[in-house]
Amino acid sequence: MAKKQIDLSIDFCGVKFNNPFLLSSSPVSNSAEMVAEAFEAGWSGVAFKTLNSDRVRIVHPSPRMNPYHYGSKRLVGLQNVEQISDRPLKDNLLDFLYLKKNYPDRVLISSIMGFSNEEWAYLAKASEDNGADMLELNFSCPHMTIEGSGHKVGQANHLIEKFTETVKKAVSIPVLAKMTPNITDMTEPALYAKQGGADAIAAINTVRGISQIGLDDWTARPKVTGVGAISGTSGPAVKPIGLRFIADLAKCEQLGLPLSGQGGIETWIDALEYMLLGSTTVQVTTGIIHYGYRIVEDMIEGLSDYMAERDMTRVADLVGKALPNLQDTDKFDLDRQGTAQYDIDRCIGCGQCLIVCNDSAGQALEWDAEKRRPSLIEDKCLSCMVCSFVCPVSGLITYKEQPKTWQRQETEVMGKDLEDQLKLEACK
Amino acid sequence: MKKTDDFTCMTKGFDLDQAMAEAERCLLCYDAPCSKGCPAETDPGTFIRKLRLKNVTGAIRTIKENNILGGACGVLCPASRLCEKGCCASGIGRPIEIGKIQRALVEHSWTRNLQVLEKSAARNEKIAVVGSGPAGLSCAAELAKEGYGVTLFEARPEPGGVIRYGVPSYRFDLDFLERELADLKALEVEIRCNEPVEGQGGAEKLLQTGYSAVFLATGLWGTQRLKADTGQIGGLYTSVEFLASLRDQNLAQVRQQLAGKTVTVVGGGSVAMDCAEAAAKLGVKDVHLVYRRSFSLMPAEKEERIEVLDAGVHLQLLNQPVDFIVNDKGDIQGVKLVRTCLGEPDSSGRRSPEAIPDSEWVLETDIVIEAIGNQALADSPQWYPNVQVNEQRLVQVDSDSGQTSVAGIFAGGDIVRGPALVVEAVQDGKIAARGIMKYLAGKDV
Ligand SMILES: Cc1cc2nc3c(=O)[nH]c(=O)nc-3n(C[C@H](O)[C@H](O)[C@H](O)COP(=O)(O)OP(=O)(O)OC[C@H]3O[C@@H](n4cnc5c(N)ncnc54)[C@H](O)[C@@H]3O)c2cc1C
Ligand SMILES: Cc1cc2nc3c(=O)[nH]c(=O)nc-3n(C[C@H](O)[C@H](O)[C@H](O)COP(=O)(O)O)c2cc1C
Ligand code: SF4
Repeated sequence: MAKKQIDLSIDFCGVKFNNPFLLSSSPVSNSAEMVAEAFEAGWSGVAFKTLNSDRVRIVHPSPRMNPYHYGSKRLVGLQNVEQISDRPLKDNLLDFLYLKKNYPDRVLISSIMGFSNEEWAYLAKASEDNGADMLELNFSCPHMTIEGSGHKVGQANHLIEKFTETVKKAVSIPVLAKMTPNITDMTEPALYAKQGGADAIAAINTVRGISQIGLDDWTARPKVTGVGAISGTSGPAVKPIGLRFIADLAKCEQLGLPLSGQGGIETWIDALEYMLLGSTTVQVTTGIIHYGYRIVEDMIEGLSDYMAERDMTRVADLVGKALPNLQDTDKFDLDRQGTAQYDIDRCIGCGQCLIVCNDSAGQALEWDAEKRRPSLIEDKCLSCMVCSFVCPVSGLITYKEQPKTWQRQETEVMGKDLEDQLKLEACK
Repeated sequence: MKKTDDFTCMTKGFDLDQAMAEAERCLLCYDAPCSKGCPAETDPGTFIRKLRLKNVTGAIRTIKENNILGGACGVLCPASRLCEKGCCASGIGRPIEIGKIQRALVEHSWTRNLQVLEKSAARNEKIAVVGSGPAGLSCAAELAKEGYGVTLFEARPEPGGVIRYGVPSYRFDLDFLERELADLKALEVEIRCNEPVEGQGGAEKLLQTGYSAVFLATGLWGTQRLKADTGQIGGLYTSVEFLASLRDQNLAQVRQQLAGKTVTVVGGGSVAMDCAEAAAKLGVKDVHLVYRRSFSLMPAEKEERIEVLDAGVHLQLLNQPVDFIVNDKGDIQGVKLVRTCLGEPDSSGRRSPEAIPDSEWVLETDIVIEAIGNQALADSPQWYPNVQVNEQRLVQVDSDSGQTSVAGIFAGGDIVRGPALVVEAVQDGKIAARGIMKYLAGKDV
């Protein structure tokens, strides 16, 4: 397929973005020198590393991150205890001026975190005055060491409303509220943010987690001066959680605010999934920590090709496309059942299907030891499809719906002759 | 010997991370075909699964319990026609590199100083093992683990057999061998070097000198010769002599002797390949390999044949030596060859070479190495006169127990099979150890 020039630009809170792909507020957006490189690579905007007002000195723990590896697959998750920006406010604002001067077509979102009403207002105003196109209120850092900040605010709804309101009064640029996933229901604080005047919601910040304990020192990683802590997990491991919160927010009619999704995005497919569930823009950190700014090239090209294949011209048309199909589980039609089906000619004989079917499913496979081939006893198949999850040949095992008249065998009862020992009133 | 250059040490294998990455490609098959393909039941299906589930020590334990020379086998096995042959991953690409994973795990055990083998309570019986090659080492380890007292008698100055005095060090180095031997020594096996068991009935007498059973694993240290009676010809060597000379302290001297010389190796098997490649790696002027059939009919493994070409050896295929050309000082000057063509298949199923009349020519050379076959030493049957041997002097055994025609005397490895593999010798050692234990149990009753 010939590469087609697709216009990926999108409107978010009245601000035009060349594409939906932004740096999120983190080390990847720590300085103008870095952000300029990201802009050169193709990112349309940045949520700059969260500003601090110089009232308290910010020092990053050392070391501040730890990778979560899965086998030899690196960085399926990332653990961090980094604080907000440790740079003086003035330096960050000078960097704002530099970026706006040199990259006027890119969007500069100033992420801020205050410790009091006045401080929120002060940082908001300073950002707007020095070129920020938007604000992002950080209500969600899970490991700020200073009381009255970070995700503790994100869990205190009245503070969210109050601080948002303060900021909205101080500036005229659009305001995003960035939410913590370390709660059960995100729509609640999001509605308070809306109440305070927020124009959009950004989610998710990192998930409080522990991904590694040292086996010799019994200390969580990262280990900082001999101490471990619960810290923020990010990266592909948290994508399912991020998508879920975005979907919750998007489905909440009362909220009705545009969304900036994030959490585990590395590829155009991850980004697209966030968009299909209602994100207008998406933000990335861990993907860049893993691969660098260059990944945006593949996000742009991948999304463009996807749209070209479908004759789509507006990215905005993708936003929320998966929401109508996202229902509660009680909408499932349980009368329609199916089974696995095997394209056995493509089988390479590893027998992993047999192992998992025997040990975690319907015990519905027979094994020809000579030929090393499974065969399905269809009416024992639970259609759980675990066999297809482990099969190394893509598409060999697929799902097939059975006619409504089809019946599955009952699961074997082993204790039939022990009925006299059964203790259950209802059976008497 | 100190590690000095890439002739005396082998190339690095996988580290643990690389082994893990390779293990991640493994499909963890049901009833794993790789495990069935291993002649020594090293059970790669299990040790790879253990590695994959981060049970690293357990993986090493599986290897070492099943195969005391698991490291050597990881390096030396022609795995592509053993464990890797049935690998299901071939169906979606290429087989898992099982030998390399195995080697990496064993090497890892050394860096971590893991002792995975355990010894049972000591027993009274003592067993004599004759020959400390792979078969002898394996049998000794198996018996020592069960608590038997084992004495290994070795004719040569150091233990190891072919993997010390045959295989060139760039394929299998001494450092590696010493580490693997340390695993065995930890089992408190007594190794008595420079103690050949020979002379009339020498091996059988062991049964009268306090040993309850004997395992014969003396290997093949005689060589077939092109001409029955060559006398003393300067520059003419057997493969056994040549390869052994590369592994002792005199390597530097050998190197000097060969410098600027033309070397001709005769033969088409693995041993010939080792001789030719080793000579080429030593940087001699030219190395010729003379073989009477075609490239594809060489008995050597395909990889070995290609390596020889790669090393810069000149293949003189379809040529058969008929005579040596010797000068008046008694030094070799050339080999007279006759060109051959391939006729009808012989008993081995390969087309047999037929001399082309009037096609003789002389290949000038300073050194000739004969590598046309290893065989049992001529006097070996005398060491065990009551033990049945065949016309090639190979010891006859019951394949389930390794027992010879004499009760209490067992045998295995090359002296039984003829030229075979390290991994097969290991298996023979295990089978014989089980046979010996059964025999001893029966005797007790
Ligand atoms: C050059 C060469 C390269 C090879 N390469 C490979 C390879 O890459 N991979 C592979 O799998 N196989 C290879 N083989 C084959 C493999 O080495 C043998 O199959 C294996 O070593 C046989 O083991 P064994 O214990 O039976 O005999 P050996 O290894 O021959 O050991 C016999 C031992 O017995 C000792 N001995 C002999 N007579 C007496 C006596 N009377 N008293 C006391 N001790 C005695 C000898 O000194 C020797 O130490 C190779 C063989 C050769 C010759
Ligand atoms: C298919 C599936 C079904 C599950 N059903 C139950 C359940 O019935 N009751 C329950 O308490 N947990 C259930 N769980 C959760 C598991 O018990 C477990 O808490 C969870 O999967 C996390 O553990 P793991 O990822 O280590 O497996 C289920 C998990 C899976 C994957
Ligand atoms: S011992 Fe040799 S054949 Fe057996 S699994 Fe190991 S490498 Fe493969």
